[in-house]
Amino acid sequence: MAITIIKDFCKGCGFCIEYCPKKVYEFSGEMNKKGYALPSPVRIEECTECGLCDLYCPDFAILLEKTKKLKGRAAPEKVR
Amino acid sequence: MSTSGETSKVLHPLVSKYLRKERMPHMACPGCGIGQVVHATLLAIDELGMTPKDTVWVQGVGCNSRITYSTWVGDNVDAHHGRIFAVATGLKMARPDMNFILFTGDGDCGAIGGNHFIHACRRNLDVTAILFNNGIYGMTGGQVAPTSPFGTVTTTTPYGNLEDPFDMCQLAIAAGASYVARWRSTDFKPLINSIKKGIHTKGLAFIEVLLQCPTNFGRYALKTSRAQDVLKWIKDHTVTQREAKKLPPEDIEGKVLLGEFVYRPDRTGIVERYQAFLKKHMKE
Amino acid sequence: MSSGVKPGRYFVQGDEAIAEGAIAAGCRFFAGYPITPSSETSEAMARRLPEVGGICLQMEDELASIHSVCAASVGGLKAMTISSGPGISLKLEGLGWGIKNEIPVVVVDVQRAGPSNGVATRVGQGDFYTIRYGSAGGNYGLIALSPKSTQEAFDLTIECFNLSEIFRCPVFLLADETVGHTRELLVIPEESELNVVKRIKPTIPPEQFDMYPLDNPEVIYYPFPNIGEGYGICVSPYTHNSKGYASTAQETQEKMARRLVLKVTENLDKLVRVERRYMEDADFAVVAYGGNARPAIAAVDMVREKGMKVGFFRPIIVWPFPDGEILNVAEKVRRILVCELNIDGQLSREVARAARGKSEVYHLGSGGVEPHLPLQIFNEIMRLYQ
Repeated sequence: MAITIIKDFCKGCGFCIEYCPKKVYEFSGEMNKKGYALPSPVRIEECTECGLCDLYCPDFAILLEKTKKLKGRAAPEKVR
Repeated sequence: MSTSGETSKVLHPLVSKYLRKERMPHMACPGCGIGQVVHATLLAIDELGMTPKDTVWVQGVGCNSRITYSTWVGDNVDAHHGRIFAVATGLKMARPDMNFILFTGDGDCGAIGGNHFIHACRRNLDVTAILFNNGIYGMTGGQVAPTSPFGTVTTTTPYGNLEDPFDMCQLAIAAGASYVARWRSTDFKPLINSIKKGIHTKGLAFIEVLLQCPTNFGRYALKTSRAQDVLKWIKDHTVTQREAKKLPPEDIEGKVLLGEFVYRPDRTGIVERYQAFLKKHMKE
Repeated sequence: MSSGVKPGRYFVQGDEAIAEGAIAAGCRFFAGYPITPSSETSEAMARRLPEVGGICLQMEDELASIHSVCAASVGGLKAMTISSGPGISLKLEGLGWGIKNEIPVVVVDVQRAGPSNGVATRVGQGDFYTIRYGSAGGNYGLIALSPKSTQEAFDLTIECFNLSEIFRCPVFLLADETVGHTRELLVIPEESELNVVKRIKPTIPPEQFDMYPLDNPEVIYYPFPNIGEGYGICVSPYTHNSKGYASTAQETQEKMARRLVLKVTENLDKLVRVERRYMEDADFAVVAYGGNARPAIAAVDMVREKGMKVGFFRPIIVWPFPDGEILNVAEKVRRILVCELNIDGQLSREVARAARGKSEVYHLGSGGVEPHLPLQIFNEIMRLYQ
């Protein structure tokens, strides 16, 4: 699993930190050009690749590269 | 605190595929739920195999619209405040072959746009409308909305709102929409599925999303600036239909119901009726 | 698909002629709300549009009508809506959306006596300024044509559609209840005799194309790509740049305002259409427009029989106002009598402005309900003639 924080998209809302079920993230002490406090996946080894951080992030600032096979979501269905 | 000055070369795959890079990052406040709903919409679009060539984003006026306008890589049509359903009628009747996703808000849909909204439902216009319900007028600085709960403190109801809110889903149902559902911005899976189902449904699909506005609803109504607090408040004041069946009445009193309320795919609408009518009546 | 043109001689109201003109011009989307004295056009469109594969909707109100016709044009169809005074007031917001996004569309105003609801079934001419200046924020030029007869209602509706495509903007047909409800001869020619301008499409790829030519404010015959044509168009009520992205920058606002104004003012040579009678030797002129031109012409005929050198002038394109032509008239004659169906003096104010003091300008006003009688105008000419 690789997690990239897209720094200039992040607005420091802290959702990834608060809602990750495995507490992978913490504020890193760094901020981006706009002054937003950036998170960092400090406990990445705990990550189960649930993808909640990606969905919770309102700003498309978390890039997940999953190693496990995709399961759960249906294959794309053509529209009508 | 150290500053990272680097500019991203990597982009989220949904951004790369569907959004205009020069318009990102979008201008929503930190913690605002709009981005979450847009994310869900893009996943729905992606999973259905829809493309910028066959899909148009239609907006109104309000945070949801300002933030999403001209971000979609395909066509974007942003209407005057409240006129999104009238504009969508013209667009869809002219191009019934295309998909239209409408982003609308509390005032755009429920106040100034109320009349066009119910008539679009009555006509069962074949579009998918997503209502971003944050219980307040965000873009103009925090005034009361027709979706604000009774008692809500806003900039125009500093002593508390004396009016009851609309149940926008009930309005859509009564007016005739084919598919009506309500979720929270953090009900990711059901929300994505509802958007997909709505796009698939012929007729008007109305998906109301309750989402957090930390800047205005948070600060004025809840006296907090933390988006997480607003999310918790939304959670405490909502209950899914499924949960509600198992709970005693006093536990669901005053709570907003979530879920799919109506699915009547057999109800035809103006678009297919007009197409069928033209086939019959056109004189060559 | 059939063009819908039905050549022949007809005895119809102006309202119906407007509908036939629209169909002949290629209009394939109409949305309206019933309002006297324009409803006959809506009813005619409802009967005729499906015959040519067009879409006719009665929308829930005037706002839905204007917004949906502008949207249908964005969707690729030539579109029209119609109303009268109070409904035109409601449409002004959507008109702004059409103007700002350079959307070709035709809006018809069949004027009635006003203000407010006024006398729904009777004539007035009180919307002259409303249509020009009524939409929020100013910063735009406007084109409006005004018919005096059923035949002109047909001909000028086609002209409105053509100008809307050439100038990529909403164009008004400023009619009135006299023209709308008078039944008279309409000759619809063969289709080959009609001049219909087709929508212009871009020939360059999307990445090179500017949806709004803000850096070239005077350009006309500019392409109008629609949704689903691969141009990723952006349409918005906010001030936006050439690509359509909303902007608060002063420079963008300036460019946008100049584009919307100069588009019209720098192309005035294409926007002059007037009628003159007996002006060659005139030392007194009567000015009127629309249905009220008819009694004015009759009155001028009457005074000519008495040997008085009175001429008649009628703007057919009423906006942009024919300043140059009025100045010519003012330099020629001593007095101008403007006959219009309002008391506040709208056309006469424009004539006085354009005359630049070269001639005295008089206003013969009426609250409406009836057009002027030829005798009323005749008597006024007799009173003022020197």
